Amino acid sequence: MIVLFALVPWLPGEFWTHVGTEILIFGLFAMSFNLLYGYMGQISFGHAAFFGIGAYATAMLFTALKTSAGDIGVAEFLLSLLAGPPVAAAAALFIGFFCVRLTGIYFAMLTLAFGEMLFYIVFSWYSFTKGDDGIQGLLPPAFFQDSDNFYYFTLAIVILALFVMWRITESPFGLTLRTLRDNQRRAAFLGTNVKAHMLANFVIAGTFAGLAGALWGPFSRSVNPGLLGWGESGIAVFMTLIGGAGAFIGPIVGSVIYTMLQAVVKMYTIYWPLTIGSVILVIVLFAPGGILGIVERRLRAARPEGGTNGGDPVAGAGETESRQ
Amino acid sequence: MDIAPYLLQLFSGLSRAMVLFLLSAGLSLIFGVMNILNFAHATLWLISGYVTYSLFTFLSEQFGASPWMLLPAIAGAVALMSLAGFALERFLIRHTYERELPEQLLLTFALVLILGDVIKLVWGLENRRINLGVEPMEMFDTLVNPYQFVIIGTGVAVGAGLWYFLHRTRFGKIVRAAVYSRSMVSALGIRIPVIYSMVFALGVGLAALASGVFLPLLPMSLGMDLDIIVQCFAVVVIGGFGSMLGTFVASIIVGVVYSFSILFWPDGALAMIFLILIAVLIWRPWGLFGTELRS
Repeated sequence: MIVLFALVPWLPGEFWTHVGTEILIFGLFAMSFNLLYGYMGQISFGHAAFFGIGAYATAMLFTALKTSAGDIGVAEFLLSLLAGPPVAAAAALFIGFFCVRLTGIYFAMLTLAFGEMLFYIVFSWYSFTKGDDGIQGLLPPAFFQDSDNFYYFTLAIVILALFVMWRITESPFGLTLRTLRDNQRRAAFLGTNVKAHMLANFVIAGTFAGLAGALWGPFSRSVNPGLLGWGESGIAVFMTLIGGAGAFIGPIVGSVIYTMLQAVVKMYTIYWPLTIGSVILVIVLFAPGGILGIVERRLRAARPEGGTNGGDPVAGAGETESRQ
Repeated sequence: MDIAPYLLQLFSGLSRAMVLFLLSAGLSLIFGVMNILNFAHATLWLISGYVTYSLFTFLSEQFGASPWMLLPAIAGAVALMSLAGFALERFLIRHTYERELPEQLLLTFALVLILGDVIKLVWGLENRRINLGVEPMEMFDTLVNPYQFVIIGTGVAVGAGLWYFLHRTRFGKIVRAAVYSRSMVSALGIRIPVIYSMVFALGVGLAALASGVFLPLLPMSLGMDLDIIVQCFAVVVIGGFGSMLGTFVASIIVGVVYSFSILFWPDGALAMIFLILIAVLIWRPWGLFGTELRS
């Protein structure tokens, strides 16, 4: 898969390189969302808040560091990228402190409320955030203006981030998170500090979302309050469910499908929502578990007895959640 | 102190509150009975606004223009949308009862996207509004749009009617019982699937009524449903899932706080609502009038 990604810039035209960069950035964002959903069993409707905060932190430092002519040095550029994740992490620590006290629909509602509140604050605080004008003119240094170079730069960061994420999900901490997803009460009986684990994971997820946001500003040359809104959070949810929350790389697969489909459909019609809405409808009704869920069932059918060794770390996300 | 501007904000806040109440009441009922959080509720509200508009225009052309044509237009839209709601539950929503919460949310959100584009396909990008030609009325040394009182009256009347329905009629009692225990109601020989479709139709009908009375006050525009649905979520959670009284009180809180915040912080008024929502979720996650039982 990495090889396929590395080959993207060889495709004719810059268009697919741009789409590829978008796939990577949103894929990372969706992956960070899946830390909460696939591994911890909680659905967040405000995850874009951290994506947006990361983007704004980078954009603001970027604007402060660039010269009056609008240029920015490579060191300053990298420094401004580094601003995104820690600021997003700090926000996630504060918001997560309250959110991890709740689960299920209440967790979803509280994350939505925090996200929307931040959206309206960024939207209306003109003197600090430039309001709905957003921050423009985030032109990276000459080397990164080349779309191929920026693509490889993004690819390297995303691969590194995914590697770290993978280590986290396979660590004892990651296993504990899955226990929390499957049976929180039992985990508490076993002496797990449930809230501390959930909070730590919330901060980790927020940090990676902030990293994705930090990359977004220089890529699109601007940031706007919409990045924090719940429509943006919805994109992470869509990608994750299209690809499949049950597999580690599910969200990336979802991002490939979603972003490419969007790029192609938008060339022909303004009815993109109708298209993606129908796709989601079909997936929910006929392919629960997403695309990788289908692949996995096919594989299982092919070798009926070999169920234990499959790369299926998060099978049945939330299935055991009891409903009254 | 001049109280006139505050009274103006109070009336517009209350009329806003009543629209939110009509919507949230349906949302809360549907969630209470079927455990489905219907993202598409406000989109159905938006569609029925366009339907009401078209019916109103059609009736005005056929029988001469008159503000009273709004009444049959609303009645027609409520009937049509209730039927549509019945069908939607019967053929689509029903397949997700056994699924997890995120998948249900995703299904109703897919409907938001699809129906939003259906509006674009059928009615285009223009805003739709009905002008009843109501003259502003002089009250408290200022001008008030008397139509706001029609909305407030409708909201209160429907609230009272809903209370009567839920507490005094047989069907209403079954619905309330279903909120507590679906399996018990089913065990008593009541056909739960029929109840589900009826409740969904009722909820959508209330939304259609809300958009009908709302049309002469504000134009319907694309994308409005997304703003409204998150506010309805706020109302339902602040009031407490399944509590009709809570929904009513929370609607008034949200509507009035919004219209007063607009005076001080025009772009950020909605942030105030989410601040209240955050406070309620932290302090009493089950809402002001809800019971801890279902949390």
